Amino acid sequence: MKRSWLATPYAIWMLMFTLVPLVFVVYYAFTTKAGDVTIQNFAKVFTPGNLQVLVDSLRLALFCTVLCLVLGFPAAYFLSGKDFSHNQTLVVLILVPMWMNFLLRTYAMMTILENNGVLNTVLTAIGLPKVSLIGTEAAVLMGMVYNFLPFMVLPIYTVLKKLDRRVIEAAEDLGANPMQVFVKVVIPLSVPGVVSGITMVFMPAVTTFAISRLLGSGMIYLVGDMIEDYYITFTNRQVGSALSLVMLVLVMLSIGLLRRVDPKGEGGGMW
Amino acid sequence: MVQDMRLIELKGVCKSFGDTRVLHDVNLYIRKCEFITLLGPSGCGKTTMLRIIGGFETPSEGEVYFDGKDLTGIPPYKRRINTVFQKYALFTHLNVFDNIAFGLKLKTPETLGVKTKREAKAEIEKRVQRMLKLVKMEGYEKRSVDSLSGGQQQRIAIARALVNEPEVLLLDEPLGALDLKLRKEMQLELKSMQQQLGITFIYVTHDQEEALTMSDTVVVLNGGRIQQIGDPKRIYDEPKNAFVADFIGESNILPGIMLEDELVEFAGREFPCVDEGFDANEPVDVVVRPEDIMVVGSDVGMLTGTVESVLFKGVHYEMMIHTGDFRWKVHSTTMQPVGSEVGLSIVPFNIHIMRREAKP
Repeated sequence: MKRSWLATPYAIWMLMFTLVPLVFVVYYAFTTKAGDVTIQNFAKVFTPGNLQVLVDSLRLALFCTVLCLVLGFPAAYFLSGKDFSHNQTLVVLILVPMWMNFLLRTYAMMTILENNGVLNTVLTAIGLPKVSLIGTEAAVLMGMVYNFLPFMVLPIYTVLKKLDRRVIEAAEDLGANPMQVFVKVVIPLSVPGVVSGITMVFMPAVTTFAISRLLGSGMIYLVGDMIEDYYITFTNRQVGSALSLVMLVLVMLSIGLLRRVDPKGEGGGMW
Repeated sequence: MVQDMRLIELKGVCKSFGDTRVLHDVNLYIRKCEFITLLGPSGCGKTTMLRIIGGFETPSEGEVYFDGKDLTGIPPYKRRINTVFQKYALFTHLNVFDNIAFGLKLKTPETLGVKTKREAKAEIEKRVQRMLKLVKMEGYEKRSVDSLSGGQQQRIAIARALVNEPEVLLLDEPLGALDLKLRKEMQLELKSMQQQLGITFIYVTHDQEEALTMSDTVVVLNGGRIQQIGDPKRIYDEPKNAFVADFIGESNILPGIMLEDELVEFAGREFPCVDEGFDANEPVDVVVRPEDIMVVGSDVGMLTGTVESVLFKGVHYEMMIHTGDFRWKVHSTTMQPVGSEVGLSIVPFNIHIMRREAKP
């Protein structure tokens, strides 16, 4: 028996739950409710109001990615350091949030940020004024960063961990001080991990929906929420599908762009 | 030796990793323009010694002096020393030109001998080209280092280190990954580069032939201790102990007794030799190189024995010859058939006597 047969269950699964639904999405996107071929659904996607939501989503996803990178890179660099013997423990600590469902994590975030939540209780207890975070973009961003940070840290950590110690020594040997070693050797060689991290964070961040609903208290409305609304609240599969297709194309374009930076796909090693 | 010729000096250097001590009280000086080789089996501490000189490890005890100044605490990037790493450690994100130019680009225009950044760029270009010519890699500037063969990567690693005009070049088993023919070529090239540039080379290898071919001075190490320091000929002809004799070249080592000056007893009979200064009847180790044993007729030899095996080695035959209580390794250009009775003869000059060491 050929080994490829072993993948048959997976192939059936993919066919049923990815490919077939995708065909439906394409079908709905290009038809009216009556079943006639049309491109009107796309016109309805690109209304000024919807475009604003799209721009907001991209903007938040971008902020989230940048924040994850700014927080995640130094953490990954620190964890990969050879002098640090407990890094295995810390890597696990970073992984733990990934083991829980993201909805649970977001509910936890909600109890912390609520107007009468943990944060404000602590602030009141130490005599500081309350902060009203829930329902703001800041809260949504915090929730997103909290959820997606591990996806940035791990690929960068993996690449840095694999980095040959001797290459760094060679740079020192050639006269590079620690800062120059970092800028001229460590950063360029970590590009594959960074690219992988950006992909893993930006893609899901663009289509976030539950986080914005829970932490945004309905004040923050993102593309993910909009797609959900089209399908469920407005029962308008046609526009919902068109919107999904637009997002799919956007995501694929971004992957294509990132591939140019890391043509060998070296950062994808651990995924 | 004149004191001021000493460029690098190691004084009482010890190094431990955790509970394992890899270097024991190493004392060594290295002269300007010397080609010195640290030779020993793997795990003897030779690479650690090199890394201490390069600044990648700090000695647990003792000091390292460079031009009379203590190097302790000086990081690698501030030392006028460059290294050719084992497996090269090239920068895979840079092409050949940028690999070689890496060190130069970190320098200010002033240290390159020019005033403006533009002139510096031209100067770097000039120096990199000169290096490419030296290592015979002209025309490879734009190539990615991944696309080069092992020998080519090796040359780039050497160029990358030499372009900075270091006073000392450290080489950590640089030819280990190359095939035999290429290795021999590179040995000669490295030696001629060293003479041409007039800088000090500190070379680490476990290949005794390489060490003897290239070096002005060989330092034999074992178990983190220096066994012998000397020029290649001296190391080969007068090994100080059984380890050196066994490690450098091939040898027959057998126990003997020094009867008096210039007379030694081993293998069941007395041999005239040239060594003096031992106690009467002092137990010693006797070394005879396989190529120094003459195979003669069984009736005229000092020893008689039976040929047990013959191996063809290219230039010579290697025969194992059994004489009563010892099995001799003999190299000869003429072959004796297996099973034949032969005589062995050794001239006094080729018998080397070593003082017996207290076994640790």
